[in-house]
Amino acid sequence: MDMQEKIALLEETLELDEGTLTAETVLADVDEYDSMAKLSLIVMMDDEFGVKLTGDVIKSFVTVGDILNLMK
Amino acid sequence: MQNLIDFSDKKVLIAGASSGIGKQIAISLSKLGAAVILIARRENKLQEVISQLEGKEHSYYVADLSQTGEIEGLVKKIVADNGKLDGMVYSAGIAATLPVNMLKPEKLLSLFQINYFGFVEMVRQVSKKGRYNDNMRIVGISSVASIRGDKSKTAYSSSKSAMDSAVRCMAKELAEKGICLNTVAPAMTATELYDHFLEKYGDDSESSTTLLKRQYLGIIQPEDVANAVAFLLSPAARFITGITLPVDGGLTTT
Ligand SMILES: NC(=O)c1ccc[n+]([C@@H]2O[C@H](COP(=O)([O-])OP(=O)(O)OC[C@H]3O[C@@H](n4cnc5c(N)ncnc54)[C@H](OP(=O)(O)O)[C@@H]3O)[C@@H](O)[C@H]2O)c1
Repeated sequence: MDMQEKIALLEETLELDEGTLTAETVLADVDEYDSMAKLSLIVMMDDEFGVKLTGDVIKSFVTVGDILNLMK
Repeated sequence: MQNLIDFSDKKVLIAGASSGIGKQIAISLSKLGAAVILIARRENKLQEVISQLEGKEHSYYVADLSQTGEIEGLVKKIVADNGKLDGMVYSAGIAATLPVNMLKPEKLLSLFQINYFGFVEMVRQVSKKGRYNDNMRIVGISSVASIRGDKSKTAYSSSKSAMDSAVRCMAKELAEKGICLNTVAPAMTATELYDHFLEKYGDDSESSTTLLKRQYLGIIQPEDVANAVAFLLSPAARFITGITLPVDGGLTTT
């Protein structure tokens, strides 16, 4: 999965319009990134990448890039 | 002195007995005299439970109950090895957190596979002629989630509602065989599941305080659920069938 596809998957998971996110986007500025979106992120990361996100890891995310780094 | 809750010479099969509520049910029933037969996937955990039981003649079988096609062979083997059953408790289950937008049919199916299909198939197999003694009793562990609505709990809650309604129907049919079956619906119980909840939210968080305001008797101990199960398996409950008994510290009535 290339970078563009990962961003698209993230936009789909967080229910954002296409082209909303870049690697530099600060998560705190994304209104839709709420507790339910985080639950969706947990499920997506486990399903697609076998990555189990803990509460602490989620808290450590600052930018979209931090999530992209774990999408492998 | 008469004791209606005495399981001496009784054999009870417990599905999902390697941890949590199922484990406690095994321990409690063994203290009340039952020979218990445990099922779960983790053999080391099952052995640990066996070592904590009172009395002898307990046994365990390693099986994945979401593989419903294998339950018939398993039950046949259990009855061949141990004789006819007097009770069956189904405590196998998982609690998934799945927001609606991630609720793909495959996810729903895999949760139902263990929480619901496994239960119905176990009931079907243990209630076949020659596999149970007179006054057979069956108890499924449901949840108060079956009658409550919560974000990301669509799959879990509906699997528990399915269990409760299956019991209402099957009870009527199996009454002809003298079998009673019910579910017990616990609210938040102190198992590893609750430890995860505390890890996530902390015990002074808003989620914890809100929970305890409604579940005003406090966090339920696995023994409390096991005691309700023991009652339903006993002759003391012989006129109770097809119901869901909440063991919820007051939650569903507040
Ligand atoms: N704790 C609560 O607050 C609470 C509240 C309401 C209802 N409940 C219900 O109570 C039941 C027991 O929960 P618990 O809290 O005791 O959780 P738990 O400690 O995780 O116990 C679940 C049991 O089910 C077994 N199991 C899971 N998947 C299985 C599979 N595919 N095949 C065979 N066995 C399987 C597990 O054993 P292996 O992993 O070894 O297979 C384990 O013994 C569940 O149905 C749950 O929904 C719990």
